[in-house]
Amino acid sequence: MNKNIEISISDKGGVSIITIKGDVTAITGSAIEAAYEKVSSAGVKKILLYFDKEGYINSGGIAVLIGIASESRKKEQVIRITGLSDHFQKIFYMVGLTKYTELFPSEDLALKDF
Amino acid sequence: MATDNKIELHIPSIIGFEKVAMETAASVAKEMGFTDDRIEDLKTAVSEACLNAIEHGNKMDTSTKVGITLTVEESKLQVTVQDEGKGIGQIDLPQIENKIEGKEKTRGWGIFLIKNLMNEVKFESGPEGGNVVKMIIHLKKEPPA
Repeated sequence: MNKNIEISISDKGGVSIITIKGDVTAITGSAIEAAYEKVSSAGVKKILLYFDKEGYINSGGIAVLIGIASESRKKEQVIRITGLSDHFQKIFYMVGLTKYTELFPSEDLALKDF
Repeated sequence: MATDNKIELHIPSIIGFEKVAMETAASVAKEMGFTDDRIEDLKTAVSEACLNAIEHGNKMDTSTKVGITLTVEESKLQVTVQDEGKGIGQIDLPQIENKIEGKEKTRGWGIFLIKNLMNEVKFESGPEGGNVVKMIIHLKKEPPA
């Protein structure tokens, strides 16, 4: 019943972009974690998480993202986020994730001065 | 099944089926005239309540069901989610700082989201056991403060 998640990794100007299409849940979140671990092991310090506006993120998925935010602090990485719907931007603000990751309205703005 | 102003459905205790309840609640809310942003709030709250019922109430026991009842009133929609499990006890509100610092598990946001997205929330025990979450969303333009 869970929609599959599609993850891709690209690089722009030294920023690793992890593009996430689909639902972000405790189950699909392991794919995001794997992508994060892959870019981290390469020593990347700047990461952009690019979400799908049509995707659904539940509390299990939020927990995965909090785990990534926690790890990024230990590794002195900066994580930016784009692509979220207005609703999930509100959710991220509500749970406090915006204290640890900055939200941007577009990829271009997220990459600017990164 | 619709009786007067009630719509009832039962979903299996399988992760993923919460989406059926979400979309049903969204359809009813749209018919009632809720704004798109409040429909999204409702979908998230219903999803979280169903996931709690599936994972924590029914322990993902596939012999159990989660019951969802939508009650339509003129100025509000009530959504009740009931499982067949034992009580889940007191839930502490999550603190992201503690989770970021590794002092707490990163999970545990479901009830927090439900309380912050709905206008009224009550947690009760069912008449024949099980956990019951009653959520009410008011048909107003302003979201809850």
